[in-house]
Amino acid sequence: MSRPIKVVMAKLGLDIHWRGAVAVSRMLRDEGMEVVYLGNQFPEQIVNAAVQEGADVVGLSTLGGNHNSLGPKVVELLRKKGLEDILVLMGGVIPSEDIPALKEKGIAAVFGPESKIVDIASFIRGKVS
Amino acid sequence: MTKEKQKLFDQKVVEQLGTKKERWHEETLKGKVGDKKYYTESGIPIDILYSPSDIKDLDYQKDIGFPGEAPYTRGVYPNMYRGRLFTVRQLAGFGAPEDCNQRIKYLLDNGATGVNIVFDLPTVRGYNSDDPEAEGNVGACGVAIDSLEDMETLFNSIPIDEISSSVVTHMPSTTVVLLAMYMVMAEKRGIALEKLSGTNQNDFLMETVVGSAPEILPPKASFRLQCDAIEYASKHLPRWNPVSYNGYNLREAGTSAVQEVAVGIANAIATAEELISRGNSVDDFAKRMSFFWDLCNDFFEEIAKCRASRIVFQEVMRDRFQAKNPNSQMMRFHVQTSGITLTAVEPLNNIARSSIQGLAAILGGAQSLHIDSYDEAYSAPTEEAALVSLRTQQILQGETNVVNTVDPLAGSYYVESLTREMAQRIREYIEEIERKGGLVAVTESGWLHREISNFAYKQQKAIENGEQKIVGVNHFPAEKKKAAEIEVFRYPETAVRQTEKLARLRKKRDQAKLDKALGNLREKCLSDENIMPYVKEAVLALATLGEIEEIFREEFGLWQFPLA
Repeated sequence: MSRPIKVVMAKLGLDIHWRGAVAVSRMLRDEGMEVVYLGNQFPEQIVNAAVQEGADVVGLSTLGGNHNSLGPKVVELLRKKGLEDILVLMGGVIPSEDIPALKEKGIAAVFGPESKIVDIASFIRGKVS
Repeated sequence: MTKEKQKLFDQKVVEQLGTKKERWHEETLKGKVGDKKYYTESGIPIDILYSPSDIKDLDYQKDIGFPGEAPYTRGVYPNMYRGRLFTVRQLAGFGAPEDCNQRIKYLLDNGATGVNIVFDLPTVRGYNSDDPEAEGNVGACGVAIDSLEDMETLFNSIPIDEISSSVVTHMPSTTVVLLAMYMVMAEKRGIALEKLSGTNQNDFLMETVVGSAPEILPPKASFRLQCDAIEYASKHLPRWNPVSYNGYNLREAGTSAVQEVAVGIANAIATAEELISRGNSVDDFAKRMSFFWDLCNDFFEEIAKCRASRIVFQEVMRDRFQAKNPNSQMMRFHVQTSGITLTAVEPLNNIARSSIQGLAAILGGAQSLHIDSYDEAYSAPTEEAALVSLRTQQILQGETNVVNTVDPLAGSYYVESLTREMAQRIREYIEEIERKGGLVAVTESGWLHREISNFAYKQQKAIENGEQKIVGVNHFPAEKKKAAEIEVFRYPETAVRQTEKLARLRKKRDQAKLDKALGNLREKCLSDENIMPYVKEAVLALATLGEIEEIFREEFGLWQFPLA
């Protein structure tokens, strides 16, 4: 791939805890990716931004309990636009028992609190090529 | 008090001790000081040994003093926990008001001595439960409140004239609404406002720095509402703390202990300047200012932080604002143990972390305490986890004997030296904020956001490269793939119930009365008048939280969060 991998990162809905999303954004930049941090947005705006930016990856961060309702909605809206090859990742506080259902609905991976940036980055590189 | 320092130590003796320490270094220690440099979490170098030389200039009366007397290093009350134990104030908040009311009663029945309510994100961000923006968050991470009736349900049969309530209202725009609901609820129950005891958060940084959101009020507007609530309470709510300067959430987002306290005090300074410019006297409002600190893992630094924060606040109120009432110079603070230090792996380890942090809060002289639950890296606490936290507090109070003498670490060469160093660094950071135009200005410019982002980034790197140790994660890592067996708290279905309540409410309201109240409120948004009476009027007319917030958003406009 000639151009850097492009990531659109967002805090999902009203969840306020932005520390992780900002730290991961900056560290993915260190890994050579281009990251657009949107701040807090709802699925429609996130998908619009992903289209505008030509994103390869959408990162969704939430620690507020809205992962089951708003996470899959992003995938759904991307599919409606025919953008199913955009990789959708989630991070934050997400109970492990919720993860299988999220994956079934098209979330490629969920990175919990103790994830390492190298693992996130290599997962992305493995999928986006 | 004399101007000249009366040094605690005989300077000749200290000098001799200095020479003796050098000898000890060479002959006994033989240079075995460890193989690296040691720092506190906020970056203060740690020496292998502290002695009188490190605090040689100390003047007991001036620098430490007795508890209940300036400079309040040893605590704000003379008898501290012998007079009144710190309030056991465990957070409760989830679901609909009737669900949360049950949890409050459960905690009180088990010996909690105060109430501490957190609201769900739609409520703190100013949306009704049936608003599309609220989707997925209703009743999660806090209780949903849409109207006066919800506030009445939440506090149903809770003796609010006897116990104190902390209402964690986060942003000023939500504070003015929730505080108005609380007051109207009390008045309808026949409880006089003078009897209401408690605290609300009301910090404009929660709106503009800590809590990002799709829709944020501009810093100046948020700050104005913050000051309105404080000014109003100073006239009508003598036992209420209308602000809790929230260092906690700044720290969790990413600051050092020094920055946490400095920003909190800088906000108190900005408030005092604003309220004085409105014609109030500092002694009208400063005595009800309260603070909220985050106690993390660096045990002695956290204790020193608590002591130093009291010293700096006292100086500011005495020297800068000439506060005369001693209460105006006393910093009272609530502590919550740190959520960011808790791990999802091996969650029971979190009980040890939180206990140590809770102990530091007591040794630091906190007025009230919430101990985090071990499952907080997963969800809001289960009833069992909430009980363990409550019991941890009771063990600290009842079994350890630490509460029975005041400020037991005073005089420790290390703790005193660290207290002085922390105080100095807090002063310097406040000065830096002021050089940049003050707290509202550094918020508008995004400087504060960048400071936090930089700290969070650096700390994350330190964790990833192993410099900062976390047991179970990068230090004695837990066995891979072994999922923790933990019960996850499931929020009760709330959105449907709240939506039905809102529909019923909208039908039964007196529309003319409501329109008039909302019209009045809208008119006053851009005036110089205090907004509180108009919010109260709207709440009484059964305006919803979302309706009032929408008026704020329309009248004050929205602001772009300056972090990309």
